[in-house]
Amino acid sequence: MELRLENLTKIFTNKTGIETTAVSELDITIESGTLVGLLGPSGCGKSTTLFMIAGLEKPTGGKIFFGEDDVTKLAPEKRGIGLVFQNYALYPHMTVYNNILFPLENLDVPRNEAIARVKEMANLVGIGNLLDRKPSQLSGGQQQRVAIARALVKKPRVLLLDEPLSNLDARLRLQMREEIKRIQRETGITTIFVTHDQEEAMSISDKMVVLDFGVRQQYDSPQEMYNSPDNLFVAKFLGNPPINTFEAEVKKGYLMINDKKFMKFDVPDATYDIGMRPENFRVSEDGFEVDVKNIYHIGRDTMIHFDFNGTNIRALVDSDDVEGQQKKIKLAIKSQRVYIFDKNTGKVVDHG
Amino acid sequence: MADFINNTKKFFKRIGQGIKNFFWNIRRVLNNIKRRIGKFLDKHNLNFASKFPGWAKALLYLSPALIVLGIFTFWPIINAFALVVYENYNLTNDTITGYTLFGNFITVLTDESFIVPASHTASSAVINTLIIVFISVPISVLLALFIAAALNSIKPLKGFFQTVYFLPYVTNTIAIGLVFAYMFKADGGLINQFLSWFGINADNLSWVDTGAVYWRSMFVLIFYGVWSTLAFKIMVFLTSIQGIDKQYYQAAAIDATPRRKIFTRITVPLISPMIFYILVTSVIGGFKIYNSIVALFGVTGQPAGADYTMQSIVMYIYQFIDGSNAGSLSVAAAGSLILFAIILVLTLVQMQVSKKRVHY
Amino acid sequence: MNKKLFQKSNRIERITFIFDFLAIAAYLALFFILFGMLELPEIINGRMDLDNLQYMLPTYEFLSATFDKWQMNTMISLVILFALVAIPMMFINVKKLRNRTIYEINSYTASSKFVQALVNLLSFNPISAGLRIYNMFVLVKFVKGYNAKEFFKSIGPAVKKFSKELFKKKEIKNKEELDEYSISIKQSIRRQNASKIIRMSLTYIFLIIMAFIIIIPFYWMVLTSLKDFTGATSNNPEFFIGISRMNWVNYKVVLTELNFGLYIRNTIFIALMSTLGTVITTILAAYAFARIEFKGRELLFSILIMTMMIPGELYIITNLITVSRNGFGWVGMPTGENNYFLAMILPFVTSISYIFFLRQSFKQIPDSLYKAARVDGCSDFKFLTRVMVPIASPTIFTITILNVFGSWNAYIWPRIITGLGGEEGQNYWLISNALRDTSFVQENGKVMYNLQIAASALVTVPLLIVFFMFKKYIMNGIGRSGTKG
Repeated sequence: MELRLENLTKIFTNKTGIETTAVSELDITIESGTLVGLLGPSGCGKSTTLFMIAGLEKPTGGKIFFGEDDVTKLAPEKRGIGLVFQNYALYPHMTVYNNILFPLENLDVPRNEAIARVKEMANLVGIGNLLDRKPSQLSGGQQQRVAIARALVKKPRVLLLDEPLSNLDARLRLQMREEIKRIQRETGITTIFVTHDQEEAMSISDKMVVLDFGVRQQYDSPQEMYNSPDNLFVAKFLGNPPINTFEAEVKKGYLMINDKKFMKFDVPDATYDIGMRPENFRVSEDGFEVDVKNIYHIGRDTMIHFDFNGTNIRALVDSDDVEGQQKKIKLAIKSQRVYIFDKNTGKVVDHG
Repeated sequence: MADFINNTKKFFKRIGQGIKNFFWNIRRVLNNIKRRIGKFLDKHNLNFASKFPGWAKALLYLSPALIVLGIFTFWPIINAFALVVYENYNLTNDTITGYTLFGNFITVLTDESFIVPASHTASSAVINTLIIVFISVPISVLLALFIAAALNSIKPLKGFFQTVYFLPYVTNTIAIGLVFAYMFKADGGLINQFLSWFGINADNLSWVDTGAVYWRSMFVLIFYGVWSTLAFKIMVFLTSIQGIDKQYYQAAAIDATPRRKIFTRITVPLISPMIFYILVTSVIGGFKIYNSIVALFGVTGQPAGADYTMQSIVMYIYQFIDGSNAGSLSVAAAGSLILFAIILVLTLVQMQVSKKRVHY
Repeated sequence: MNKKLFQKSNRIERITFIFDFLAIAAYLALFFILFGMLELPEIINGRMDLDNLQYMLPTYEFLSATFDKWQMNTMISLVILFALVAIPMMFINVKKLRNRTIYEINSYTASSKFVQALVNLLSFNPISAGLRIYNMFVLVKFVKGYNAKEFFKSIGPAVKKFSKELFKKKEIKNKEELDEYSISIKQSIRRQNASKIIRMSLTYIFLIIMAFIIIIPFYWMVLTSLKDFTGATSNNPEFFIGISRMNWVNYKVVLTELNFGLYIRNTIFIALMSTLGTVITTILAAYAFARIEFKGRELLFSILIMTMMIPGELYIITNLITVSRNGFGWVGMPTGENNYFLAMILPFVTSISYIFFLRQSFKQIPDSLYKAARVDGCSDFKFLTRVMVPIASPTIFTITILNVFGSWNAYIWPRIITGLGGEEGQNYWLISNALRDTSFVQENGKVMYNLQIAASALVTVPLLIVFFMFKKYIMNGIGRSGTKG
């Protein structure tokens, strides 16, 4: 089922009357059956957006459509959504079985069917043998699975996940990521996944939305967004280690770095913010010579530190190409991977 | 045999399933009805429930408590101020003869058994209460603190001691009070017997009955007060001592801090909010002392044949609440307002002190 | 690990419970029969001739045998003693069995079965004893793999081995040769240990003395309640009495002639009703204060908190007017038109401090649970009953217990209420009023101390039973109630 947000806005007013805009004029259309990651730094309004879709927060303005239905004013239980919380929100006094059964109590389902559905969901998420345990007797990953089963047992139209992996340790997180992807594929349910971890979002989502201060920055597939970010914020937010940014002038169509011509650009002469991802550098004989400040060998890769226009730059290159502690090194950059951003708006001007 | 057991198990299981199915279906029917009503209301735009403001819903939940509190707590507070200015209020026919601004207060304050002791005795309700509060509260708090610290430092028998120390909490004040009075009996009382073992000639030494001296009666009262309030304090202190982060003690042990210092410099400051809380509540509780006096000395609060009284302020007030005499309720109201003022002042003073002394 | 043996042991244990239970039922039935048979003094001029109580020498026919007073006392004492041993033992065993896992079984479990069997044997329960012994052999086989014969054979060598080891240790100590450094370390350790032992023994002595002070009134109460009049008023009180001289008839006099049965029933009724009311109103109000957003919530709440400082006497004055003739007319009316229970219960069906206490624990329930329930289509009320109440049940239980204890202690309000209606009010006395206002003084001026103390014990024992049943919850709850208040 398609999900559409139109001009969705949320403004919080606190006791002293000061207004804060959590989400402003969000326009997103999510195609049926896709998994969309809602990504942004903490406090950017992504959870608020999710709760507005769920119906737990009332939007100040704008509309929410599930398919053709306008659900903006519908109560949460009537929307047909499943919600998974960051801390799982399992009822601590009920067994896993009762936790999953609980949502069905309020629906018009015969008991036999309800029990069958509980078992089916438990098997789908792989906790079929834990049904008579209490949540406190489960590991974090298992609790997460129960929470997903509880959300799915109602056969919701939309599944909403609010930072579901942030309470897990690193190894489990990787595993649950794949699990969620698998469950989503098997059920084919439209899913929205909120996270502040860009790596998580990129690995799991079909498409991603990046939000900053409640404003949509970009809505695209993860790889597309990584390769051609719309603006400086998106470029900075994606990728680890983060993108190198520094100021540089374009003079007579040439990008000037350390008073030398770096490469040709067809943009008006001015000062720009330049972005170069560390992993896009490579060692090359016909490259640009830099004075090395530090070299760190970290297994497969080698991190090289040097200055561009007085800003520290990190380059991640193949270890085999670097010999010990070189003082000077020649580096080239992959084509189409130098981003030029407007100094005022942060919008991408060109990349080459 | 095994078959039989299995069949019985199955049978009971089936019954259980049947019951569960039954309730599930009832719930389904109710939900359906609810849904239908909701739809109907939605259709005709009558659904007020969703338009209910927060306070209306809150009122629904609060109303049982608020009605009871309104009648039996808030109204009495307001009415107390009315009663205090009545003259000769008569309970049986609800009449008064006039109004007086301070008359009832003056009656209380000048009463020879309230503040100023009568000529033939050295005690009055206020003096008694103050003695009880300022002797028994520090003793019981300190004792509870020591016991809690001692309990915290031992492992074997800890549970046993905890249970024993808790016992006074689960008693009837009057019942144990009678036992205390019996134990402090002059002839054949346990305490006098006990004293005689130590060579103290305590034959017929009167503690609570005929011939008892004021200080001996007071001793028994304070002893019983401490005995019966110790349990709660120990439990609270122990819980908060156990809540202290072990790291503080480990750090202190490595720094070779002496034991006494650990107690005074780590344990006490860290639970000082709790000590303060206990101090405030036990001072307030001390001012309300009543049941134990009744148990030890009878409803008049006067040991047999004594020329002094063991009355506390509360007891003084209660003697006016039988409603038999015209105007007595007003005197009681005046007395309890005075008591309230005393408690308020003391609490405020304690708060001021705590701001400087309590580490949060 | 032989799972079958483990299951077998558990099965035997379950069967043993049945016999334990039957034995307890038998003890209690026997107690009630014997207690019911106890003969009371004659009634002279409308009053029981209590002076004669200790001089009566009735004989009782029971199971076609004749018993005198002393034998009867002995039998009742024994039955009570057995019940006192058997009931806690059964509860502890049930609890243990429910939590027992296959890894916790060791030889200690087997030996504890043996001890329990001995206790069973001493309390005339040979079936349970036999089953426990059998269970012990099963457990021994489970732990060590011995069957019964091998087990008996293994006892001798085990004892020898144990004594040898004790002996060996000493030898090793003597043989050790130490250099100077390790000697100095050893000495400092020894000094440390010595100071630790002294400190610990001082702590224990302090705790034991305090425990004695706490426990003596209880002991003295039970002891005196079983003495006869002469014993209770003697100048040289006895510190122990034999089981044949325990006058259980004292309790019967208190229950029947002195009407304490009625007063205890009254008190239980009042306690249950007011607790029921308190729990319901408190849960609803605490929910409103913890979860529902409304204007003036904080203001209303702080007003409630402030009223907690006002002394209760202030309320009582006006409440008396409210419930009497010029108010609701529950008391102070002509005989027959009074409703004492209503007047005693209604003012106490809510409590601000409990609302405060419960709100604190409601507030600790994470908000996300509420949101999850909302998404699942849970109404506010259903969320309260299905999620909040079960999660906060320890606190609610604490409130229940505190309130029951409070009602059990209620004195002044019932006294004022029941004092209004003359003689009629006496039928509505609660135990505290009865204890204080019942006359234990005979017409000839004798104070029946043994009966007074028996009445005290009678009202204390139910509380103690409730306490020991829920010890853990109550003690934790009280500790926390302080920390949170």
